[in-house]
Amino acid sequence: MSLLALDGVCIDYGPIRAVRDVSLTVEQGEVVTLIGANGAGKTSLLRAISGLKRPSGGKVTLAGRDVTGFSPDHLVRLGLAHAPEGRQVLTRQTVEDNLELGAFSRKDRPGIAEDLEAMYVLFPRLRERRGQLAGTLSGGEQQMLAIARALMSRPRLLLLDEPSLGLAPLLVEDIFEIITDLNRRGTTILLVEQNAGLALARSHRAYVLEAGQMAVSGPSAELAQDERVKRAYLG
Amino acid sequence: MTPAWFIQSLLNGLSIGSVYAVFALGYTLVFSILGIINFAHGAVFTLGAYLTYALAVGSFGLNGLLAGVSLPFTLPFFPALLLGGFLAGLAGMAVERLAFRPLRRRGADALLALVSSLGVALILVNLIQYLAGAEIYAFPADVFGGLPPAVIFRVAGKPVAVRTAQIILFAVSLIMLAGLMWAISRTRAGKALRAVAENTDTAALLGINVNLFILGTFFLSGVLGGMAGTLIGTSYGISGPYFGVAYGLKGLAVIVLGGLGSIPGAVLGGLVIGLGEAFLPADMSSWKEAVPFVLLFAVLLIRPQGLLGERMEQKV
Repeated sequence: MSLLALDGVCIDYGPIRAVRDVSLTVEQGEVVTLIGANGAGKTSLLRAISGLKRPSGGKVTLAGRDVTGFSPDHLVRLGLAHAPEGRQVLTRQTVEDNLELGAFSRKDRPGIAEDLEAMYVLFPRLRERRGQLAGTLSGGEQQMLAIARALMSRPRLLLLDEPSLGLAPLLVEDIFEIITDLNRRGTTILLVEQNAGLALARSHRAYVLEAGQMAVSGPSAELAQDERVKRAYLG
Repeated sequence: MTPAWFIQSLLNGLSIGSVYAVFALGYTLVFSILGIINFAHGAVFTLGAYLTYALAVGSFGLNGLLAGVSLPFTLPFFPALLLGGFLAGLAGMAVERLAFRPLRRRGADALLALVSSLGVALILVNLIQYLAGAEIYAFPADVFGGLPPAVIFRVAGKPVAVRTAQIILFAVSLIMLAGLMWAISRTRAGKALRAVAENTDTAALLGINVNLFILGTFFLSGVLGGMAGTLIGTSYGISGPYFGVAYGLKGLAVIVLGGLGSIPGAVLGGLVIGLGEAFLPADMSSWKEAVPFVLLFAVLLIRPQGLLGERMEQKV
């Protein structure tokens, strides 16, 4: 049983169909990446998985359970976390409040305190800035906060939307190092990424979305050698 | 301008201004979350006053459908105030369910909720008129039980009188303001509420049930409105079903003056307008209703975002 399965998902914005009949699976323990040009529907697909956008057709299954149309807060309680595009930290609250709100769905106080400490070990910069308003952080720090905040719900499946967007190359390496590390410790990850080369190098499998439809899919190592993928995304 | 007059005006202004602040916070809470004004807030203010009156006095006059009907019990003032506030909070929740959520679910333009909330306000006001009539209601003089009607002291030889109602207005308002500000800045639910206010999508992704928090906000807003209505009603009487209209407009002046969406701004705006009215010389008292808007105009000329408002880039 796949941890996540999309079956024939369609997403409409008014009369415009942004995603057409997309199916994909993510198995427990994998890093799966979704690549595609701007406007291909990658973000829409993540929004449909996390409940922010109701699909107009198709089915979303999480750990064998049909969760199509579930609200985002319900999905968080079922083990899904989504670090959205553009980071979306709560700019007017402190770093620590952001992290604690990441654990809003949890009631186990000792476990939350433990995870908070674990995040500070994973992202030492966040510990230095724990009392600062999140809006005053740099782009890279906000990205770290967005990932750490998503992890605070102890997700089984983490959705990451463009974690490298707008970051300096060195920081991008750091972020991907952390993603690989998280995966080794057992978090399953579905990654949307514009940096296709890096995403393919750091994932097990990949899907290529073109104009709202699934174009190619397969093991990342194979796709990285695929002539079409190379030409279109790896330049 | 004697010292006694100054002290008297200061106390009058702080007392009424603190109630304006409580009332205006009801607007602010909803605005900071949905980015729109709830025009039914003035009607909930009226409803709160009528409900508390019914609970504390036990019956209405002769003009409405409820003429001759009396409650089998009456409550002392403070329990009646709290229960009236609670019921007004439920009315606030009904406003959300009837006027706001249906439009939100269909993805309608937020501005349309202005119209639907105005519609709910008209329904509420007419319902009150239908049930309790259009007459003026004044809380009985002994509504606070055995407390003396006023405290009188002397400043530089001249008497200053503070009515018990004014002291209660100020004390209750202060407790409510302090409690609310503490809860919003310190508690987990308060932080979650601020998260919903900043970005509903992000809040939802954190596992926060956004609709539940919006409903809770309307409840709080209704409690604030209803209790403010009661407090003003005890001090000045309930001037009929349209009691809340003038205060509704004044409340709008308060939040714009203080800065839309700013909680400290609503408090400061309430106090500024209350003091502005209180310090108006007696021979100009017919201009009292204009004071909030003159102050508003003057402040907006200098600070278009209001006294404590942020420039509104992200909030539209």
